[in-house]
Amino acid sequence: MSDLLYVGKNIPRTIEVDKVTGRAIYIDDLKRPGMLYGKILYSNYAHARIKMINTSKAEKLPGVRAVLTGSNIPDVRVGFLKDQTVLKKDIVRQFRDEVAAVAAISEEIAEEALDLIEVEYEELPAVFDPIEAMKEGATLVHEVDARGKPIKSNIIPMPWKFKAGDIEQGRKDSAYMVKDNLSTTWVNQCCMGTSGCVAEFDMNNNLTLYNQTNVPFLDKQRIMEHFAAIGLKGKNVRVVNVVVGGSFGTKLDTDIYEFICIQLALKTRKPVKILFTREEEFRALPPRQPARFTIEQGCDKEGRLTFRKAEAILDNGAYTSWGVTTPSVMMMPMSSLYRVTNVSFESTCVYTNNIYCQAMRGYGNPQATFAVETSMDRLAEKAGIDPAEFRLINCNQSGDVTPMRLKITSCGLEECINSVKKRLNWSEKKRKQKSRGVGMASLIHVAGGARVYLSDGHGMMIKVDQNGHIDVLESGTDQGQGSPTVISQIVAESLGFRPEDISLTLGDTGLCLWDAGTHASRHTFMAGNAAIRVCEKAKKQILEMAVEQMPKLIKNGFKRKKRKDPDFVEPDLDYSLISSPEKLDIKNRMVFPTTAPDHPYFKVEVSQILRSGLHVGIGESKVVVAEAFYDPPTEMLDREMKGNLSLTYAFGTTGVEVEVDEKTGKVKILNLFAAHDVGKAINPTLVKGQIYGAAYIGAGYALTEEIKLEKGRVMNPNFRDYKMLTARDAVPVEPIVIEPGDKDGPYGAKGIGEPGLVPTAPAIANAVYDAIGIRIRDLPITPEKVLAALKEKKQQQ
Amino acid sequence: MNNFEYLMPTTINEAISFHESYGDQAKYIAGGTDVIVKIKEGKISPQYLISLRHLQGLDHIIYEKGELRIGAMVTHSMLERSPVIRKEFPILTDAVENIGSVQIRNVATIGGNIVNAVPSADGAVPLITLGAEVRVIGPKRERIMALEDFFIGPGQTSLKSGEILMEFLIPKLLSHTGAAYWKHTRRAAMELPILGVAVLISLDDDMKTCTEARIGLGVVAPTPMRAKNAEAILKGNKVDDEILKKAGEAAAQECKARDSIRGKAWYRRDMVELFVQRMAIVAMERAH
Amino acid sequence: MKNVSVSFTLNGDIVTAEVPPNWTLLKTLREYFELTGSKEGCGVGECGACTVIIDGDAINSCIYPILEVEGKSVTTIEGVASEDGTLHPLQKAFLENNGVQCGFCTSGMIMSSKALLDHNPDPTEDEIRASIAGNLCRCTGYVQIVESIEKAAEMIKEGK
Repeated sequence: MSDLLYVGKNIPRTIEVDKVTGRAIYIDDLKRPGMLYGKILYSNYAHARIKMINTSKAEKLPGVRAVLTGSNIPDVRVGFLKDQTVLKKDIVRQFRDEVAAVAAISEEIAEEALDLIEVEYEELPAVFDPIEAMKEGATLVHEVDARGKPIKSNIIPMPWKFKAGDIEQGRKDSAYMVKDNLSTTWVNQCCMGTSGCVAEFDMNNNLTLYNQTNVPFLDKQRIMEHFAAIGLKGKNVRVVNVVVGGSFGTKLDTDIYEFICIQLALKTRKPVKILFTREEEFRALPPRQPARFTIEQGCDKEGRLTFRKAEAILDNGAYTSWGVTTPSVMMMPMSSLYRVTNVSFESTCVYTNNIYCQAMRGYGNPQATFAVETSMDRLAEKAGIDPAEFRLINCNQSGDVTPMRLKITSCGLEECINSVKKRLNWSEKKRKQKSRGVGMASLIHVAGGARVYLSDGHGMMIKVDQNGHIDVLESGTDQGQGSPTVISQIVAESLGFRPEDISLTLGDTGLCLWDAGTHASRHTFMAGNAAIRVCEKAKKQILEMAVEQMPKLIKNGFKRKKRKDPDFVEPDLDYSLISSPEKLDIKNRMVFPTTAPDHPYFKVEVSQILRSGLHVGIGESKVVVAEAFYDPPTEMLDREMKGNLSLTYAFGTTGVEVEVDEKTGKVKILNLFAAHDVGKAINPTLVKGQIYGAAYIGAGYALTEEIKLEKGRVMNPNFRDYKMLTARDAVPVEPIVIEPGDKDGPYGAKGIGEPGLVPTAPAIANAVYDAIGIRIRDLPITPEKVLAALKEKKQQQ
Repeated sequence: MNNFEYLMPTTINEAISFHESYGDQAKYIAGGTDVIVKIKEGKISPQYLISLRHLQGLDHIIYEKGELRIGAMVTHSMLERSPVIRKEFPILTDAVENIGSVQIRNVATIGGNIVNAVPSADGAVPLITLGAEVRVIGPKRERIMALEDFFIGPGQTSLKSGEILMEFLIPKLLSHTGAAYWKHTRRAAMELPILGVAVLISLDDDMKTCTEARIGLGVVAPTPMRAKNAEAILKGNKVDDEILKKAGEAAAQECKARDSIRGKAWYRRDMVELFVQRMAIVAMERAH
Repeated sequence: MKNVSVSFTLNGDIVTAEVPPNWTLLKTLREYFELTGSKEGCGVGECGACTVIIDGDAINSCIYPILEVEGKSVTTIEGVASEDGTLHPLQKAFLENNGVQCGFCTSGMIMSSKALLDHNPDPTEDEIRASIAGNLCRCTGYVQIVESIEKAAEMIKEGK
């Protein structure tokens, strides 16, 4: 790895020049000929019966081309558990249920039409608390399931029960035990580009969906399944991404607005765009899954963990999207963050009339790690052991197999904890300063793919043209993390070309092969490994071509020289040096023999070879094209929720120093060190960008962000009152990039997209405790909560 | 956005007569950062917007013989950049430099901020504390009134239909006067405050005895208010920590803080108590 | 509603827009002039994605009434690079220092920071952060954006 030309270098993102010149086309900017604008009418009640919908006035408004309700589109169920329809017909179950949709020639007319739709509701009793919703006799949010079977309870039948070892034995072996209740709330992903898509059918009813999805192939599959149910079986679907204005988990499902857009396009026979306003983005977009934890841990006298037992209650909201699957990821920190043999984790997901949830960066890990790492600090304190020491005592190591059967290969956790300890000056500062404190928290996350679906594959195709330009068809997507630059670095390195020789197409199901999705921090690992394999094949083709073409090219060169200079004598060369592909290599577009890299004559620019290989004149001309489909040797979780679902794991530790103003309750972050084991940083600047961005979202999660829901209604649907951090809320983040390598990662790289966020909130909470002796157990840690706790403490004293 | 005509009168008379013609259907607009947002959010739907941007004589900052006159159309940026404000009335710099963002401050006017009259208006509290008066011109007459009396409720001022706010007059302050404003927020920018506290203190020649005290509070009552009980505790007395604490407690008692999605009443009261003390100290430093 | 006619300088050219009087500058830029570089992130002046420069000042174009632009000079992201396509130091710096991730806030960030550097070629970090406090970004955590602006300021001073 010592003489890498591009991998490990800070190659700039010049490939994305459109973004700095205003030319990048986001969904907002996309215009198709004859395109109409779609708008959605939402319900005004959290739970109500729809008695009447009258769309006649809306239909008559000039410029309106279609008005849809649950009654004039097929009544087909969609969603993870198929528990909702595209437009709600009889009952609305949450405040933002989609009740009608309009397509018109302008956004203004579409909005005007919404105002003309008359809906009469009969309000029904609603339930807004999962504990209440679990009780016997609670109002049922759903009466029947997807198959029409009557539902008797709001508890959703999900298999979230994990057990390993013997908890009771663990308790017996414990010298110290702690138990805590903690909770996290709804937060919005806050992508700067709002949700939306453009749906367009051709005259044969094949669909092109211009979208922003992380999962184009799964999106396509879900839409095709939907098509089969609505009379369009066998029609083709092409999902094509435009430039995406951020994702952070919002684009992993096929959202209701996508289905609505498709219905409007079908009805009007025109392209239709739906684009969320910022208010819709706050009210109608499923946010991060909230969770309430009860967690118990124990350790022996030496500080070794003896057991970890946790339960979580998830307010699922009215319908299911990915929120209800977050426990499958919560199991990872619960069972595998630090070494603990006896583990039990159960999660109950409950229907309520609140807003339903989807994925958000970290996907359950930030919530669960807040619980685990708060508990770890508490247990360390009870055992009289320094919290950093406590974590080192129980640190994961290479070679471990965790209770979830995760096989830990590369593991830089110890180095992460130690480097954060050092940077924070931990021993000097811990417990020593008034109103200032230090705290830390670690993480484990998947970093080598994630076998969530039966295939965890990623396919890549490349072709190299006669000029030595490479076109890469990459089946992942780009949400802004820098994938095109990173992948072009890997392709350039593997093939022996330069990053500027490469053009990439991502996120197009019509052109690209297949990928499970740009999620679970898997993209660089998967696409990088696919790239290495596909480049191996392409290189072989180029070198085979070189074996044929090089002698001819060299000899022709001598002939030309002889014509110019009759005294020229053709040198006597050993052509056996270049007689087979194994003897050759490519570097910086030059093909040369490996045994004589500085040979004066055996050095040919690759385009010469490619051109000769194509324009042969007689016989078989060749092009260079290759594909590879990489699916790592990992397992799905079995019925016990165990299985090595990723090929390698990310580790990291965030250490924070805070200062608390004990009069106002405000927490100020003085330093935040984020140490991450990334295996190898393909592009250090881009890796740091991921860490900075994720740490900021984590700081917001810890201190300022919350969706204020009152009886199911979002009370702060704007940036005024939803407190996302601004540039002036400077958080001094310093990334510490740790590169122990990884035998399975492309050039040793592991995932980093989500890890940066995961331990931020508990690190801050632990630091606040060190500063003022107050432990806040529900996020966000607002000044009010801190001040109220300080006052209570004072009163007790 | 609803349809509206956008009128751009160049004289005050023209503006007022437009307003008289269209009455309820018309609304004056200054920078637009409040009016346009309200229209977009469906809270108001005027048929006519009457721009005040092209009227003459409304964009001055004049400091003469200790008196300050600020035209209603002065933007927050102009106030932020003004050296005379920074030097002589830093309490106003405190207020404006934390309003919204650079983009908002470049366009939003101090007059618009006051007329919009939200309880959280950052411009209002310091101006009241400085004892500002407003000059208002209407179809029938011109009048001057104390800014404090200008606000009658959330979003409501005593402006009659057609009247235009012209300028703010801040009378000469006593010697050895210092004033400071604190905007309490959750984030460092783009914030409507949880509460605002302004304190003005004038000291006697001994630099210890308070000859004048004014305490303005925002967001803890339907309108920006003066904490008169707290002021009375300070006035005439030597200022020390104990008296400041009493003043803070009094201010917290007399404010009418309520729960809202932006903050809880108990927290607001606690912060009033705290920041009256903290801003009083800053004010006294500035009095030197 | 009858259209109004508004003449102003747009990226160095004198132009006239014929649009309804209730249109904002942002809507006019995006739909009349088809300059889609300025974005609508919230529509109410709270995120800065629509920032343009009017007579040297950074402004949220989503709440700026179009008639007020009469006779003024407006610069959008499309007018930042030179006519021959040479990128402005800010544009180069954002690409080179990872100040761009998804790019949605980028137009606004570049306009706000250009307005700053045009007036204050040697800003402190605090001044930089204050100038972009009204530009929200979810991807970067602002760190590399501040670094990009600092690098751009250096480049401008060195005459690049």
